[in-house]
Amino acid sequence: MAALGSRGSAALPSRLRALWALPARRALAADAGAAEGKAAPPKPAFTDEAVQTLLYKMTGLDLRKVFRPVKKDLKPPHYKLMTEAQLEEATRKAIEEAKTKLIMPPVLNEREPIDDVLAEDKVLEGTETAKYVFTDLSYSIPHRERFIVVREPNGVLRKATWEERDRMIQIFFPKEGRKVIPPTLFKDENLGTVFQQDRHEDVLNMCIAQFEPDSPDYIRVHHRTYEDIEKHAKYDLLRSTRHFGGMVWYLVSRKKTDGLLIDMINRDLLEDATSLITLYHMLYPECQSAKEAKEGKLQGVDLIKVFVKTESQREGYIQLALQAYEEAMATSSAS
Amino acid sequence: MALAWAAAALRAAVGGGVRGAARPRWAQDLPRFCSTQETPKDPPPAPSPYQERPWEYLESEEYRATYGDKPVWHGYRRNHKGSVPPQRARKACLRRGKPVGNPCPICRDRNLLVDFRNVKLLDQFICPHSGVIFHPIHTGICLKQHKRLSQAIAQAQDHGLLWLRVPFVPVPEEDFSNQHAAVGKTPPAPALREPGRAWYPWYEWQQPPAAEVARMRRLYRGFLKENYPDNPPSPSGK
Repeated sequence: MAALGSRGSAALPSRLRALWALPARRALAADAGAAEGKAAPPKPAFTDEAVQTLLYKMTGLDLRKVFRPVKKDLKPPHYKLMTEAQLEEATRKAIEEAKTKLIMPPVLNEREPIDDVLAEDKVLEGTETAKYVFTDLSYSIPHRERFIVVREPNGVLRKATWEERDRMIQIFFPKEGRKVIPPTLFKDENLGTVFQQDRHEDVLNMCIAQFEPDSPDYIRVHHRTYEDIEKHAKYDLLRSTRHFGGMVWYLVSRKKTDGLLIDMINRDLLEDATSLITLYHMLYPECQSAKEAKEGKLQGVDLIKVFVKTESQREGYIQLALQAYEEAMATSSAS
Repeated sequence: MALAWAAAALRAAVGGGVRGAARPRWAQDLPRFCSTQETPKDPPPAPSPYQERPWEYLESEEYRATYGDKPVWHGYRRNHKGSVPPQRARKACLRRGKPVGNPCPICRDRNLLVDFRNVKLLDQFICPHSGVIFHPIHTGICLKQHKRLSQAIAQAQDHGLLWLRVPFVPVPEEDFSNQHAAVGKTPPAPALREPGRAWYPWYEWQQPPAAEVARMRRLYRGFLKENYPDNPPSPSGK
């Protein structure tokens, strides 16, 4: 199939990018620009177009993996007889659908806890024995603008905490795949069993279904998953899924890119390796290899070699992998 | 012959006594039970040695010899009249403490314990292609065990020990800035900002105007106590 493995432009639609851009970052950029005067480039965020393009290129688009058969109710198979043109049209549609499936979930900071008190009515102290939760059930307002307040038995009227908000909204407006009480597999002790079965992608999909993107549980589960993948070098499990971009962002932010680089070189994905290093330079423009690369305008294998010499911890392994790759290239070009 | 008949009637009358006919001769020496006496029951079956770790049984030689590679319900048949088997599973295999004849595949083996941790046993009752639990008519287990099995499978899926179908939930399109008053910070009310101030003004003592006090005194002047103070004592706790 000609279209297998094709890569296109950034998958993130502009409306989502606009929604997720945090005002704090815009304010910070404005302050920096106003205070310093000179154009100090702000730190790139996950939602920047350049970053998204690089991450999307690294994720890849393997149609066989995106549309792999899953266990569901059995139906007899469907056969279609198509001409070449129809087949190409069907492949094009499949690529469009795959692109919607590969939209990356947002990477946000942990939300601030809510602890605002609205009123203190000591007259009500001792009248009730339980808390009362009042939820605004108007249908057309977004859940983040819904007022949910709690009246405590001591008369204090306060806004509900984030956990109470999520529970109430799930009770009154149930969402598919989300439970009122989160499954026990998201606890730290049970995540280990799931990781042993190589079900990282399932865990992350369940996490997206269950938690809000800025909740501490979501962030904790994602970080645990990325740590486990990096520890056991199981990067290929997330390739061609919507979670690969988030994982790469996590690793590059913490400078743990060696394992991923080795994996890419071993699988002959040199373009992905160069994209990874470019992303690293975007996040850390003052590092040695970034400066050298900018001066020499290095490309491809040279860029990787400079990066390996200056920034990596596992230099030996990466050199070996590069050597093996170059030998393989030499033999294939010779024969 | 009449003599024999009379002798038998006499024996019956003597043997039965006041209550009625005597018991037949073959049953004379057997113990007689009535509802106030306890019937001797069989000793309760010994608990399974795999009570604490039920998954070990599925690795043991005993299991292998009994079932081999096949699932535990393979080959089990209900006993029924006619060619069509009953389209309802049996309600339970233990009726009033006694097992039925031909118990179901789980009840007949005391070492097969339905627990959310022995995943191998639970897997045998899930279709490998569609991920759906088999109907109890298909496997032959009783309804009580089927209910326990479904609960154990749900618990195992909850703990992550069994595969679970995860629906594809698209990325949420919300505004995550948390600027709205419902989830953001609201400035506290004036009463809450100062620590000493009460929420309602009438929580604290408010001195009524002097004219009112004088009017009340004049109204009830015949009934007020001698040493009634102008300001009442402050209430305790405020």
